Amino acid sequence: MHTHAEVEKFVVPIGPQHPALKEPGHFEFTVDGEMVTHASVRLGYVHRGIEKATEQRTWVQDLYLLERICGICSHTHATAFVLGVEKLAGIPAPPRAQAIRVLVAEMERIHSHLLWLGVAAHEAGFDTLFMYTWRDRETIMDLLEGLTGNRVNYSANVLGGVKFDVDAEQADSIRRGLDFLQERTEHYLEVIRRDEMFLRRTRGIGVMTQAEADEFGVVGPTARASGVARDIRIQAPYAAYDAYPVNLVVEHAGDLEARFIVRVRELLESYRLIRAILDALPEGELSKKLPRRIKSGETISRVEAPRGELFYFIQSGGGDKPTRVKVRTPTLCNLASVLTLVIGHQLADVPMILVGVDPCFSCNDRAVVLKSERDEKVWAWEQLRQYGIDFYRKGKA
Amino acid sequence: MSVLLSLLAFPGGLFVVLSGLGYEWLDRKLIAQFQNRIGPRWFQPGADILKLLFKEEIVPRDAHAWFFIGLPLVALAAALTAALYVPMAGIEPAFSFPGDLIVTVYLLSVLTLCIGVAGSNTTDRFSLVGATRTLTQLFSYEAPFLLALLGPAIVAGSWQIREIVAYAGQRWLLLTQPIGFAIAVIGLMGKLELPPFDAPEAHTEIVAGALTEYSGRGLGLFRLAKDVELVIGLTLIAAFYLGGLANPIEFVVKTVVLLLGLAGIQALLARMRIDQVVGVWWRYGALLALGQWLLLIGWEVFS
Repeated sequence: MHTHAEVEKFVVPIGPQHPALKEPGHFEFTVDGEMVTHASVRLGYVHRGIEKATEQRTWVQDLYLLERICGICSHTHATAFVLGVEKLAGIPAPPRAQAIRVLVAEMERIHSHLLWLGVAAHEAGFDTLFMYTWRDRETIMDLLEGLTGNRVNYSANVLGGVKFDVDAEQADSIRRGLDFLQERTEHYLEVIRRDEMFLRRTRGIGVMTQAEADEFGVVGPTARASGVARDIRIQAPYAAYDAYPVNLVVEHAGDLEARFIVRVRELLESYRLIRAILDALPEGELSKKLPRRIKSGETISRVEAPRGELFYFIQSGGGDKPTRVKVRTPTLCNLASVLTLVIGHQLADVPMILVGVDPCFSCNDRAVVLKSERDEKVWAWEQLRQYGIDFYRKGKA
Repeated sequence: MSVLLSLLAFPGGLFVVLSGLGYEWLDRKLIAQFQNRIGPRWFQPGADILKLLFKEEIVPRDAHAWFFIGLPLVALAAALTAALYVPMAGIEPAFSFPGDLIVTVYLLSVLTLCIGVAGSNTTDRFSLVGATRTLTQLFSYEAPFLLALLGPAIVAGSWQIREIVAYAGQRWLLLTQPIGFAIAVIGLMGKLELPPFDAPEAHTEIVAGALTEYSGRGLGLFRLAKDVELVIGLTLIAAFYLGGLANPIEFVVKTVVLLLGLAGIQALLARMRIDQVVGVWWRYGALLALGQWLLLIGWEVFS
């Protein structure tokens, strides 16, 4: 059944459809017994052409489109975009709007980190933790729904401000929800630090040193777990983060355990931050009117998404549509590190290490690279067009 | 007539199958409750099996078709046969002969062997990795598990299940052989590939392990065989270590208490890697079991 060559190179494919992956991505792990010796990735299964689509829509329409890049961190995408556009127009949003943006962003971080904690525990076969965290996550989802009307894609931002206000009653219900979450989160921190069976799966697994983290250019909690003190909220405060400073959460071990601890400690930090915002919400209007046409120019907008630095490049030609929007999501920075980290580990650790960077594939897929006979990496427009024509001709024949 | 009855209805056929489904439901329900979920309704395991039996079975092109179809049958048949030598529902075993303990233990291992062979029969990568892990796990827990069941046999002075149960009915061997009891329970979990020993079918790594290519009838029969083994394993351990099984009520109470413990362990622990499983069994399990076994033999010889 096996040729000699096949026995020598035993490749375990993970994806595009696999129980460990909630979104499509294709990984090929070459294993020797249970030991991984080589890894490769192929992305682009959920490329949606969003960047190109933004050029055909108005600034306002783009806001809704870009919010749908990610189903989990939708608010950070919208925030990055509106901050960039407001910078281009030269009209910053009022302080109360900026504070509410940060409020929703932190609530989104809580929901994202709790979701991740559950998924990561599930990869380790620790389903009880998975079920409990997702039950608790419903608390924050309900609060977000009460605040914005939506569980995901909150649509909190408009160009020039936010859509809704936070009244005293809502603030109280958020505080009550946070009290519950605080207690639960402290318990989970205890579990991930102390549970012997769980530590067997996380301690010393997938170690990334600080030097490696710098070399791979990883971002967000993944980098902070390796001792890299990098957080856009602190280093380049945007929206209202200079008014409500964030304490840096950093761990130095660089293994999976550290990635767990960093994210859970960030949860606690987010609870503190939300309470601080609710206690000192500036008064004032919620939005300013932005012109339909944005002054020509280009700008960069960076925000700290739950997964790390989210980068937007926005270019305006002076019209009612952008001429170019470039999005780089944190997953793209982090994913490459997985391919190196898994080598030398057991196959059983691979899903854990992969999920350890909290990958989000559909956010990540900005381009498609097809496996092709042609060697060229960059295709001219004419070549791409010709390829499309040939492809469909072949299909018909 | 009575032979046919014991083969088809009690304790061999219908009874173990139905009680297996019942215990699977209880196991799932308990874990769900521990995890703050609602859990399945009482007929869910039966409905699952029924649905699988109706579904088309796809035989992979590269697999040996006879093996592929035959292995689930062999696995279920072996498990059902084992039920004949065990005091199901607290009633005397249907068949008994000296040394039937060993035969029963090996009949229980046939399921694992069948799963291993079924996995390596296909060319699917997940199946092959799963089959390797299944067989690796078999070699790690099998010897300690057997030693754990031989403990009561030695003090009873017989390798016949009926006589051991009669002896164990007089006293709780759990008190004198706690190590053996613990190893038997954990060994049963390894045998059934329950968490934390579910590396051979770890969904997030290798999809469904050795049974990835199975759909329809084959999968249904394998699952049924596992349910049957769960009941038999619980019965054996309860009869040997928890003061015997004198009547059906005692049977239900003792096995359900055991299952409660099993479900608790499943809910509490994260999955172990296959190398960790082997390490735990050979570094601690096997040595402890062997130590207790030698002590028992010494006791028997010198007292």
